[in-house]
Amino acid sequence: MSHTVASNRWTGALNIFLLVLAGVVSLTPMAWMVLSSFKASFEVTAYPPTVIFSPTLENYATLWERTPFLHYAFNSMVVTVSSTALGIILGAPAAFVASWTRVTWPAVLTLAARMAPGTLFLLPWYIMFRQFDMIGSYWALILTHAVITMPIVIWVLLPFFDNIPRSIYEAAQVDGCSPLRIFFRIGLPLVAGGLAVSSILAFVFSWNFFLFALVLSNSDTKTLIAASFNFIGEGSTNWGALMAAATLIALPPLVLAIVVQRWLISGLTLGAVKG
Amino acid sequence: MSSQQSPKTQLAALSAPAVIFTVAMIAFPFCYSIWLSFQAFSSVGTTSFNGADNYVRMVSDGEFWNGLAVTFYLYILSLALQLFFGTILALVMFRSKKLPGIVRSLFISPFMMPPVVAGMMWLVILDPSLGAANYILTSFGLPPSEWLASPGFVVPTLAFIDTWQWSPYVALIVLGGLQALPPSVYEAAEIDGASPVKVLFRITLPLLLPTLVAAMILRSVDLLRFFDLIYITTQGGPANASNTLNIYGFRVGFEFFQLGYASALMVTLSVIVLGAVLVLNRLRDAVAW
Repeated sequence: MSHTVASNRWTGALNIFLLVLAGVVSLTPMAWMVLSSFKASFEVTAYPPTVIFSPTLENYATLWERTPFLHYAFNSMVVTVSSTALGIILGAPAAFVASWTRVTWPAVLTLAARMAPGTLFLLPWYIMFRQFDMIGSYWALILTHAVITMPIVIWVLLPFFDNIPRSIYEAAQVDGCSPLRIFFRIGLPLVAGGLAVSSILAFVFSWNFFLFALVLSNSDTKTLIAASFNFIGEGSTNWGALMAAATLIALPPLVLAIVVQRWLISGLTLGAVKG
Repeated sequence: MSSQQSPKTQLAALSAPAVIFTVAMIAFPFCYSIWLSFQAFSSVGTTSFNGADNYVRMVSDGEFWNGLAVTFYLYILSLALQLFFGTILALVMFRSKKLPGIVRSLFISPFMMPPVVAGMMWLVILDPSLGAANYILTSFGLPPSEWLASPGFVVPTLAFIDTWQWSPYVALIVLGGLQALPPSVYEAAEIDGASPVKVLFRITLPLLLPTLVAAMILRSVDLLRFFDLIYITTQGGPANASNTLNIYGFRVGFEFFQLGYASALMVTLSVIVLGAVLVLNRLRDAVAW
């Protein structure tokens, strides 16, 4: 018996050690990014790197004064919020119908957007949007980002709708409720939590998305992520401002992800595994 | 009769916007891209059917074969690393029964930050002359590395960054699988006096295989289409050493504006991704219990 107690204590210590190690490895680079964003320009490229320094907001001021950071942030908000809303408007009724009828192939079809490389879609979109003179418009970005958000909404909401007992629908039908009424009056209110989770996840993924805005935006509609390139160009001389930009861009998705962490894995895996 | 027809019509109406959107923005462009891959573009923008010329060109294009090799090198290396570290982290998290919420938040942060931001962050840390990483290496007496600037080391560096970002994601998936395992199995093994190592390799890991394969499928789809991190850090360089098929196809399309050839490259990559998913799905069926 004493043998197992000793080995338990040993594996317990190993366990804590590995957990702390993993935490340190995960955290250190991000902490370094945030720390560097508060370093004065002479300190951020100091070699050997400094850990103790007097913090300054100089880099954040630089972003405000020398780059259209707020304008890019505004563009990101327009594209992200609109594409999330569009994803919900399209995806929520589709998830309800898929759950009701048990016909899921249209939902599966939307996964094509998750399997094929983005450029496969970007090439024809580019030609299509050029045809309608929409390159550089918010609409081009909102529509293409909805290709990211809609499947997330459908696949996150599907289990929420599946959890509603069918007897509720049947009782409502007996009372003469049409499916349209059932969706708006019964289904939607019952999946309010799912709507919150799916819109937050859709927001995060739309915010983080790089490729489409890289080609379909112009200097007026460029999102923060697509503008990262500009920051890197300037960052070759100014790491502090680059890390300040990185910190600010990462902040909204990180805060939101922590809010929905309980549902994160089932949302991210789009029905492939149960979280 | 009309009362029976009406619910169906209403259900169809509810799903119609999503179906129309999917056809217009996903299915049609998908087919359009396949059509494009059989077209030649003239300098004035008109297209003409050129048979399989784009595909013939692809087979004789050294950059295509380089891209294919880089794609698979990066894919296999990253997948192996993040499955290994992800599984270990999952086992560790599973054994620490009470995991504070803050620890979970800490582990989801790397993969919820934009990959582009991860790229900006690691560019600074891994800078060959002033980066913190080389300072740490040299202070331990190890030689400094060129990291992303070295043709020989750029793919392992990208695999390392992606592993840093996505191992916790694999861990959370595997953790879900561990929590779903029937506890009776462990109890029986404990009564039999099996050692922890034996339980791990004879019981836990075999039972986890379906979850591991599911994680492999999810990561394969992303890794074969690896884009953001590479484009923000190296754009395929140095000397095309990180020029994956996805990066190469993007550059052919939007730097050289050869839309037909780019489509052929992207159709080929799509077939590769689909093939990987089908093979892994087969594997998942084979290990199901």
